[in-house]
Amino acid sequence: MSPWFRQHGFALGAALSTVRKAPGSFLFNVLVVAFALMLPLAGITLLDNVRPLSQQLSVDPEISVFLKLDSTREDASALQPRIREIAAAGGKAEVEFIPREKALAAMKETSGLGDVIDTLGENPLPDSFKMRLASSSAAGQVDAITEQLRALPGVDVVQVDSIWVKRLAAALNVLRLALLLLAVSLGIVVIAVVFNTIRLQVLTQKEEIAVSKLLGATDNFIHRPFYYTGALLGLFAGAVALGAVLLALKPLNGAIADFARLYASEFQLAPLGVLETAGVLAISAGLGLIGAMLSVQRHLARVR
Amino acid sequence: MIEFQSVSKQYSTDAYALRDVSLNIGKGELVYLAGPSGAGKSTLMKMVAAVERPTSGVVTVNGQDIGRIRKAGIPFLRRNLGLIFQHQRLLNDRNILGNVMLPLLVTGAPRAQAEGRARAALDKVGLGDRAKAMPLELSGGEQQRVAVARAIVNRPQIILADEPTANLDRVAADKVLDALRAFNAVGVTCVISTHDDQVLDSAAARVIRLEHGQLVGGGV
Repeated sequence: MSPWFRQHGFALGAALSTVRKAPGSFLFNVLVVAFALMLPLAGITLLDNVRPLSQQLSVDPEISVFLKLDSTREDASALQPRIREIAAAGGKAEVEFIPREKALAAMKETSGLGDVIDTLGENPLPDSFKMRLASSSAAGQVDAITEQLRALPGVDVVQVDSIWVKRLAAALNVLRLALLLLAVSLGIVVIAVVFNTIRLQVLTQKEEIAVSKLLGATDNFIHRPFYYTGALLGLFAGAVALGAVLLALKPLNGAIADFARLYASEFQLAPLGVLETAGVLAISAGLGLIGAMLSVQRHLARVR
Repeated sequence: MIEFQSVSKQYSTDAYALRDVSLNIGKGELVYLAGPSGAGKSTLMKMVAAVERPTSGVVTVNGQDIGRIRKAGIPFLRRNLGLIFQHQRLLNDRNILGNVMLPLLVTGAPRAQAEGRARAALDKVGLGDRAKAMPLELSGGEQQRVAVARAIVNRPQIILADEPTANLDRVAADKVLDALRAFNAVGVTCVISTHDDQVLDSAAARVIRLEHGQLVGGGV
């Protein structure tokens, strides 16, 4: 075995030996750090599940313009240039005419109420225009376009369809930012907890450190076991936090399933993937390592 | 091997631990450092081990200037020294074999090799059969012999023993001194500080005397 591996093996062994000597204290610290990690982890899991859902939905504002039921196809053709003109004023836009027959066919297909609709005899749906504006269109512009469309002759109802998706995306962005800030603050908490744990260990092992220095130990030899202890503390805490979030998903998914069924959806919260899990463990071990490094730099210089 | 040139160590304006000390200790020599408490014996030893640096003058150990040695170089200087302290400073959380292995482990020696050499060192001080004992299970004399084993396990060129016989009865003190003389006989430079007159009277070696931080005899 090369001296490098031997030195690190020795340091890891020394760190594990410290844990074995005071398992209760180590476990307590792991739980404290795990609690700090749990909240951002739960948030990341939620975001990870909701993000693909929101990405599937179009965030381009859509406006549906329903004509009056007694409007003829000629009336619709006459309105089309004016509608395109209004839409173009808001930037790049697509305008599609949807004849009432096509709307009825689509409704039969998607609603599953074909038989019921057939009993109506007459098509209750009007001709309509569907307008898709560029996502860069400001909410104010959408409101102005809606007002102009409402004022057109033969227009019965103007409905803004997709503004809520944009709001959802904006809300998710706010949530993401809030989570980031929360993760940063709790990361600092993790570093502080590990910092204090290592400080106490340095105090406990003061004599061993002083004797080792006199016997020719380098700073690296003395620092390494503390670095390993900090990283192990972070790693175990990350694993405990991941386990806790995983356990919490089970009852949560039960409740979500009942709710999602009402919307004919199979939506479930899935745990983080393998890569994300490895990332979380690496970050929590890294935070432990940073806490240990700061503590060692601060406290070991004083031991002589 | 060890050279002091006009060395002074001053802790405050009027507190000198050493004042203008010049001395020379050759390779393979056995030297006793004598003087009452507060004479500067420990400070002198600490300078050889680079625990303290001189305020003025030059201390040279194995050709290295202690006043100019880089912090990163100090561990490597100490690996050529065997240090014995008055209060042994054994680690009570491990057995005596673990204590004696420590100087080798800090150099990155393989554990099996460290264990073999530590057992051999314990044999040399007559404690080979107590390897698994914890330090607190041993008498003061035995603990000091463990400290000697720890000091010689990495085959140092110099042994520095700071009051190794203090707090020991005559029989135990003689055993410790015999062990140190035996290592000196095979070429290891030994510097032993003491204020025990009985030890000094029977010493067939140079005695360097310090008083109030000043050299009063045996310097060259």
